Amino acid sequence: MLIQENLSVQEKLKILTDAAKYDVACTSSGVSRGGKNGYMGNAEASGICHSFSADGRCISLLKILYTNQCIYDCKYCINRCSNDVVRTSFTPDEVCKLTMEFYQRNYIEGLFLSSGILYSADYTMDQIFQTLWKLRRELRFNGYIHVKAIPGADPALIEQVGYLADRMSVNLELPTAEGLRNLAPGKTRDKILKPMRQIQRGIAKQMEQEGILLPEQGKGHRMISTGEAEGKLPSDGSGLPSFGGDGTVPNDRSRVQSLSGERRPAPVRWGVAEEKAGYSTGPKLRLGRSRYGTYGISRVSGKRDYFVPAGQSTQMIVGATPENDFQMLTVAEALYRNFGMKRVFYSAYVSVNEDSALPILPGGPPLLREHRLYQADWLMRYYGFDAGELLSERQPNFNLFLDPKCDWALRHLGQFPVEVNRAGYETLLRVPGMGVKSVGRIVTARKTGVLTFADLKKMGVVLKRAQYFITCSGKLMNPVRIDQDYITSQLLGDERRKAWDIQHKDSYRQLSLFDDMHLEGAGIDLPS
Amino acid sequence: MTVYVCEDSFDGILCGVYDAWMSRKGHDHVRLEIGGTGDMELFCEYAPVPVLPEKTEKVISSIRRKISERVYKKVYTASLSQEPGRADIIYRFLIDGFRYGEGVLSMLHLPSVFELFRLCRFVLNESHLLKEFARFSRTEEGLLVSRIGPKNDVLPMLALHFADRLPSENWMIYDENRERAVLHPADGEWFLVRANDREWMMGLDWKTDEEEYQAMWKMFCQTIAIPERKNYVCQRNHLPLRYRPYMTEFQG
Ligand code: SF4
Repeated sequence: MLIQENLSVQEKLKILTDAAKYDVACTSSGVSRGGKNGYMGNAEASGICHSFSADGRCISLLKILYTNQCIYDCKYCINRCSNDVVRTSFTPDEVCKLTMEFYQRNYIEGLFLSSGILYSADYTMDQIFQTLWKLRRELRFNGYIHVKAIPGADPALIEQVGYLADRMSVNLELPTAEGLRNLAPGKTRDKILKPMRQIQRGIAKQMEQEGILLPEQGKGHRMISTGEAEGKLPSDGSGLPSFGGDGTVPNDRSRVQSLSGERRPAPVRWGVAEEKAGYSTGPKLRLGRSRYGTYGISRVSGKRDYFVPAGQSTQMIVGATPENDFQMLTVAEALYRNFGMKRVFYSAYVSVNEDSALPILPGGPPLLREHRLYQADWLMRYYGFDAGELLSERQPNFNLFLDPKCDWALRHLGQFPVEVNRAGYETLLRVPGMGVKSVGRIVTARKTGVLTFADLKKMGVVLKRAQYFITCSGKLMNPVRIDQDYITSQLLGDERRKAWDIQHKDSYRQLSLFDDMHLEGAGIDLPS
Repeated sequence: MTVYVCEDSFDGILCGVYDAWMSRKGHDHVRLEIGGTGDMELFCEYAPVPVLPEKTEKVISSIRRKISERVYKKVYTASLSQEPGRADIIYRFLIDGFRYGEGVLSMLHLPSVFELFRLCRFVLNESHLLKEFARFSRTEEGLLVSRIGPKNDVLPMLALHFADRLPSENWMIYDENRERAVLHPADGEWFLVRANDREWMMGLDWKTDEEEYQAMWKMFCQTIAIPERKNYVCQRNHLPLRYRPYMTEFQG
């Protein structure tokens, strides 16, 4: 390994930024914290972007590695020990100084510190701890900090770091244990899940101390004691679906029901008539809130330390291993339900290394697939869809030409059209062309008047799509056939072009999949 | 038709609301205008509106008491808009506000409400973008200086934001279009000054010793992009070109 001594801070910054850029998490959201005299910084629940890089991604945090030295050899990673690249490391002081100077110039919302594994997991985690301690305690930095928990590090260290950070993440990277075995020889699924579980428990405990209701699967929110919380969580190794030999059949019994939705009609009782009975197997949906609940304190006072108040996130690489979309989505759903994730990020694989175990991607990173996964992720959290409704073993991959919501609606035409002036918000959320915001406006406005198509347009409904699925006072907007082929062809013209753009042209807006892409966190402006 | 010509300020608009309302000429026979924004029309009578603190106070307290605090905030936000018709839009909104009370905020189908919300949206969008994109540089004297060129008068909203964020720094934000600045002394309260106030505006000419950090920031922004994903259209959608002249990473 080529370790370069005596590099200037500028040179280190270049190397350690370059090495950090493949982590796609860029948000500074999930916690709101006011400023206080003598300190520098505050935090906004919805997060703030400060710039956009040439790839159109938001720059919110100073995203760097502490060091790009690493004892492991993960095949997909630019920093793997078998690569011949210049290695260097920051010192805690250097990271602190950069963060403070960048922050006061309003370049950034805070720090996102990740790292290769230098010597050992404990050594690395300790360096990270030293850095955060200095930044928070000595320099009184009150802005946002996202930090990695290093798998295999002493839980006591992870806990200490958790009290200084706002968000922590451990990247799952590959959705199946098998994928990990093949590409990341130093990692195992258990080793990754252990710190995830620890962080989840820490957050649950903190919430309990604050008297905040903990989300409980399927039953809304209620108070539980920590002991109970821990007892309820599956043990470290379980909680994620594992997939059998052919890579499709889940052998985790608890998942079988929703996974086999196609063969045995899943308990999806959705439709206008049955609205009150609920429509999905998952937890209840509240408009504008993630239905997996909020794992994290979110709103903190400056007086005490809180454990990971902005919650936990993780990332999966898309397209480095042969898993299908259904597997990815099922794993994501389990991460939300069983590990209290605030966000799951998807990162289209960029081939940085040549290796026989890795796919060659002549078309570039699978951006469209990544885009579909983000859309589906949003549909699960804010629109009440289960993974098993969007995909199945029979249809394991997303339609490249239709977004997952349109695709679902076309397969369930029998449930449409719905009457805008009467249908519940859960129903409206399933209408293509309607987003969380427009549904919020509709639900508020129809209390005082009968809505027409012109009103809907003003409220941000995309009538071009929605028109096939809704009526206003019993009437369709245009006399159209409710016919799958016809509607598909109408929607396709639009979608096909967009899909093509995403994969081939410089024109898609990664962060604006829906009108409500920014509503994560508490800062949602919805009419009550 | 009587046109009430208001001074271009929140107080000015509220005094216009007071005069128009109290004239009892009927809402259909009055209109509010910001001085210097419209052409003189035939058959209109133009009444200049003097700014009197008692009138402003009266309007503010009736909005807060008889309608609500939220409505008051909305009206204030709308008054910061650059839209020439803002004074009359606020007047029309308040007519409905006093008729329906707080509930007016959910009556988006009323044209007055829709229009007021449109103004608020412009103001809030721009102030949000500037929270993201405003850049400070540090002078040798330790003052953080930022220049902005906003369409709407977002300075007061930015002042609130940065006062909470950088409470113990000396900083200043200068609005080039309105030639006004907000100044914030470390651990003190912020205040607004005009460009002709030499004593305060001096900071703008101070030399900044920024090369080191500006260069590192530029390099960071370039390095963090993944070349295989480059997407300039997407970048431009999020970061409109008109903000870039003020941003460190797009200079030079
Ligand atoms: S542990 Fe693996 S993924 Fe992480 S830096 Fe090392 S080689 Fe890369």
